[in-house]
Parts: sequence; C-alpha cells; structure tokens
Amino acid sequence: MEHKSSRRNFLAAAGLALPTVALASIGKAQQTPKLGPPSSGGFSYRVLGKTGLKVTSVGFGCMITSDQSVIERAADIGITYFDSARSYQNGNNERMVGAALKAKRNSITLSTKTGAKTKEEALKHIDTSLTELGTDHVDIWYLHGKGKPEELTDELLEAQQMAKKAGKTRFVGVSTHSGQPELFPAVIQKMPHFDVILTSYNFTMDPKMDEVIASAVKQGIGIVGMKVMAGGFRRAKPGDKQTEILKREGAMLAALKWVLKNKNVGTTIPSITDNEQLEENLKAMSVPFSDADQKILMAQLEYISPLYCRMCGSCSGQCPKGLPVSDMLRYVSYSEGYGQFQLARESFLSLAPEIRDVRCNDCVSCPIHCPNGVRVTERLQTAQELLA
Amino acid sequence: MKTGLVVVAVLISAGSAMAQMPPCTAVPGWTQRGEARRFDADNLFEYMDGNAEGYFLYHFVGMKGISCQSGDTTLNIDISEFEDTEFAYGMFTSTRDPRLATEKIGVTGQVTQRKGVFTKDKYYVEISANPEKDHSATLRAFLSIIEKNIQGRTTLPDAFGWFPTENLTPDSIRLVPESVLGLRLLKSGYIAQYQAGKAFLVRESSPEAAAQVFAKLRERFGQIAPAKIADEAFTANDKYLSGLCVFRKGNFVGGLANLPEGRSGVAETEKLAASVK
Repeated sequence: MEHKSSRRNFLAAAGLALPTVALASIGKAQQTPKLGPPSSGGFSYRVLGKTGLKVTSVGFGCMITSDQSVIERAADIGITYFDSARSYQNGNNERMVGAALKAKRNSITLSTKTGAKTKEEALKHIDTSLTELGTDHVDIWYLHGKGKPEELTDELLEAQQMAKKAGKTRFVGVSTHSGQPELFPAVIQKMPHFDVILTSYNFTMDPKMDEVIASAVKQGIGIVGMKVMAGGFRRAKPGDKQTEILKREGAMLAALKWVLKNKNVGTTIPSITDNEQLEENLKAMSVPFSDADQKILMAQLEYISPLYCRMCGSCSGQCPKGLPVSDMLRYVSYSEGYGQFQLARESFLSLAPEIRDVRCNDCVSCPIHCPNGVRVTERLQTAQELLA
Repeated sequence: MKTGLVVVAVLISAGSAMAQMPPCTAVPGWTQRGEARRFDADNLFEYMDGNAEGYFLYHFVGMKGISCQSGDTTLNIDISEFEDTEFAYGMFTSTRDPRLATEKIGVTGQVTQRKGVFTKDKYYVEISANPEKDHSATLRAFLSIIEKNIQGRTTLPDAFGWFPTENLTPDSIRLVPESVLGLRLLKSGYIAQYQAGKAFLVRESSPEAAAQVFAKLRERFGQIAPAKIADEAFTANDKYLSGLCVFRKGNFVGGLANLPEGRSGVAETEKLAASVK
C-alpha cells in the first residue's frame, strides 16, 4: 500500500471537535464553481487489479443522475468508469446510461450489477442488462449488495462464469455495503473467481477497513470504492445549520479526496447528479487532501457520531454492571436502523436475565466514553426502553 | 431522554404511512411473514443500500412495509410517504417502465408480472413478488385494497395540463427533483418527451427569482439569439443539449432542449408558454 490512511489517523491529525465558528468559516470559504467548458488535464489513472483495466481514479455512479447529458459530458471529458445496476429505477437507469454512452462504449469501462438470488434469474438479468445498456458485453458484472459469505452461492458464481464464458462480461465482481471483514476473506477464498470488489469505503469506517482492502489487493483483486461520501449528505435534515454548512461545495469533495488517498482503491463511483457536481468531483484527481478537508470531515463525523456505533470494541468491559455495550448498541441498530424489531428484541432477550434487568438510570454516572463520540448511555437506555 | 423523543418522532412520522397498510389477511390465503418494517430518511439506507438515494431525491419522509406469504410466493409491500403529492408522483415516474402502459390506480399505477406500483396523494406504493411467474392478479388485489385505504388527491399534478399534447410521447412526463437538464440552477421541474426534443418547465418562487435563473441560463449558453416568447426568450445551441429554446413567463422558466439541427423550436415553445398558468 502506497499510502495508509485511516479514520483514526485522520482524527488524530485533525484534533478534537471543530467549533461551530470554524464550521461557519469553512462554509463561507466555499464558492459555487461556475460551470465552464469541460476540464482538461488533471486526471489520474489507476489499474484495477488483475483485470488490467486502466481507469480514472474518479468514476461515475449513474444511479441518481438527473439527465443523460451529464453522463455524455463526463465521457467526453475523459471519465472512463461508469456504473449502473439492474435494480436502479427498475431498469430505467441502465437504459439512460446505455443511451448516453453508446458513442463511447469502446473507450470506457462499464459495469452493472444483479441482485438475483438464483442462477436462472441472474442469467436473465445479464441479458436484460445488455439489452437495456445497448451493448453486447459489460466490462464488470457484479453480484449486488452481498454482506455475508454464504450469499456468495455456488449457483450465482456459476452464473457469473457462464456469462464470462459467453462473452457477456469481461470480468466479474461482488458489491458490498457491509460485513467486509467477513466477506473479503470469503471472496479471496474463492479466487481466482472474482476480479473486482465494489465496496463501501469512506472516512467514517473502522481503520481495519484499510487492512481488509489491502488483503484483497494483494490477491490481485481490483477495488472500486462506493458510498465514498459516507451515505451522502442527503440524509441531512433541512434547517440544520451545521448540516447546511456541510452540504456546501467542498464537503463531498473532501470525502472523495480522503478515499483517493488510499492507493489500493482503483477507482471510485460517487453518485453524480449534475454537471456542477461532475466538475467538483474532477478536482479530487488533481487537488490533494488538505487540512481544510480534514476539518470538514471532522465536522461531519461529529454530526453523525452520537448515533453511529462503528463496533470498534473500545467500550468492551467498561460497564461496571457488565453490560455488553457494543452488542446492545447493535441490537438498537437492528430495530432503528434495519427495522428488525423482532430480531432486536430476541437478541436482547438472549442476554442473561441479570444483564437484561440492568437499568442505566440507576447509575449516578457512566464511565463509558466512546472514542467515536457515540452517546452510549442514551443508546443503552433506548435499548432498555425498547427491548426489555 | 432526547433519544426517546427521537424514537417517538420517528414512530409518528412513519405513522401516517402505517395507517394505510392493510394486513396480509386482507386477501384470502395470505399471511404475514416476519415483522413489519419501518424506516425514515436516517435508516432507509440500511434497508435498500444505495437505492435509498433514489428515494431521498424525491424528499422521502418515511416507509412502512410488510412481507406476505402464500405457499412459496412472497410479496414485499412498501408504502412510502413523500413531502408532497408531486414528489410521490415523481418517485413513481422514476421507477415505472415508460415503455409499458400505466393504469388508473390512485393517481396512476403500473402492474407487471412481478411488480405493482402506484401513487396517490403523497404516497408511493410498491409491491414486488417472488418467485418469477405472473403474479399480476395478486398484485392488483393488494394494490386495490391499499389504494382504498389511502385518502387524498387522485389527480395528476397541474403541470400535466400545461404540456401540449401534440407529438407528446405518451406517459413521458416526469418530475426531475434536482438539476433539470443536468443543470443545478434549474432546481426542480417537469420534463416531457416530444418527437423532436424534450420540453422542460421549472417553477421559481417569484418572477424575480425566475428572471435571475433566466439570466444565468443566458450566460451559461453564451451565444444566444433573442426570441419573442412570453416575458423573455432565447434560442441557443449546446454540445450536449443540442438546440434549445428557453422562455420565462412570470415565475416559470421553460422551453425545449435536444432539438434536432435546423429546428428552432420557437413555435412549439410558444405553445408551451401559452398554456402555462
């Protein structure tokens, strides 16, 4: 790995919390870029593992693009990696991407994904994808959104091999939003089947993620980063002052630049809505990550930290009453995050009775301090209120 | 206790969508599988990964879902609530297959072998069926029950009446929630496909705001030729949007884009401008 970046290092370098005044000044410093002619130069290229595909380090996630002209323009400018999926807008997205790229098909790398559960369904999906994309092959065909090793079933792998053999895809991969520490080893175990992993990767993730990525790269697997904006800044609540500042120009660029610091990442697919965002993202290839970027990301982390447990385990053994803190936070996330109340309650009820009976309200103070800023006591109380 | 309040707020926000959800048993032979689902903008991502971004674009408020089972067939029913009726309609237009016919379910809907969708008031309803086979009759049965449970607007957005019907591609009108024509300054508006080109219509908060947007557009496209349509208008050419004819009328900015070479689009744009109220 040429450059090892981690959230922990980044935090250390950035210092602690960023005062609101500083946030405001960051916001004011950002100027809305005027849309000029297509940028030239300043592109960086990387090779996507053993595929040998040379791609721009900033690619194009087409999922929420507002108009096909934005995709056409990106291809003209020189972006070489474009990503869609069978499920995006029930297939409407592939059709738009295909129409936008038909004149450039031979000079770009095109990927799509299938969320099929069976071989038959997957093989139907690739045929439909090719029709919608208006091409006889894609460059990478991913199994979409796998989070557990057991989801990499033999029949889906067989479908990928069949598609590869039939020339419908040049390379195959898997996309994943979670569970990377378990999934990556499983992918490696199935080598040489997989060529590429498309994975969530951003500044909010556990530093171990860098090691996980490095282990795959060592096996020749190409890495494509997604969710580089940490779920985007769209989750922001209207009227939230701090969030409004973070949404301004610069915050997303900072997040993208953070990802590109890791040279093990072959390319990235930030979702690009319009021409202005395209222009902004291009800067990530030529402008290095800076102290100002660190401050912006620090502010974003501060915003999401109170609720977002990264399962680092630092709180383990700290509760004087023996609560398995990270487990209980996970149970809350089953309910609030995944809508799986039943699973959350069953998990909670599997704890020992004396643990289930503990109430944080009974303690005068709590010694647990999350290094990532999660409001642990509140979250534990939520677990006790909701699940006991 | 702030967390508790947040949880209550989430429950309330999802409550209205919840009220529309019939039990699986509403259709004989079906039973609920697993717990009901409930999401808001903070956690929808956990349910559908990146696809959530597509919902956020349309100002998603909350979602309630259940899964129903009968034999080996499973239905996933999700009712999503959006900020207003137009965004709910926009969500529908982004997911329906524009090549297939729509049908009158709520405001409008579409049923295929494995998927049924419709929009009514500020709700967008989606039912998907597994495994692969023709489930359209079952989908229609559930959609009909859900549709009756939802009160509110059943008519298309007003903008529909403003797009001239001559040479209009059927069912092509859609809401673009951000960056119409890929331009951020055209924040949100309607697009309609015509035989020659694409019509667009953006409503600004005031005539002054629309005039500002119009001035920026004029600047954006550089070499323009003034035209006499409504309050102000111009024609221009752009490498990616081809021929353009843009007008402003009161607090609306609209026009035609992607016009073929040699076609000014002035006559068609005049008709569009004339129908805008």
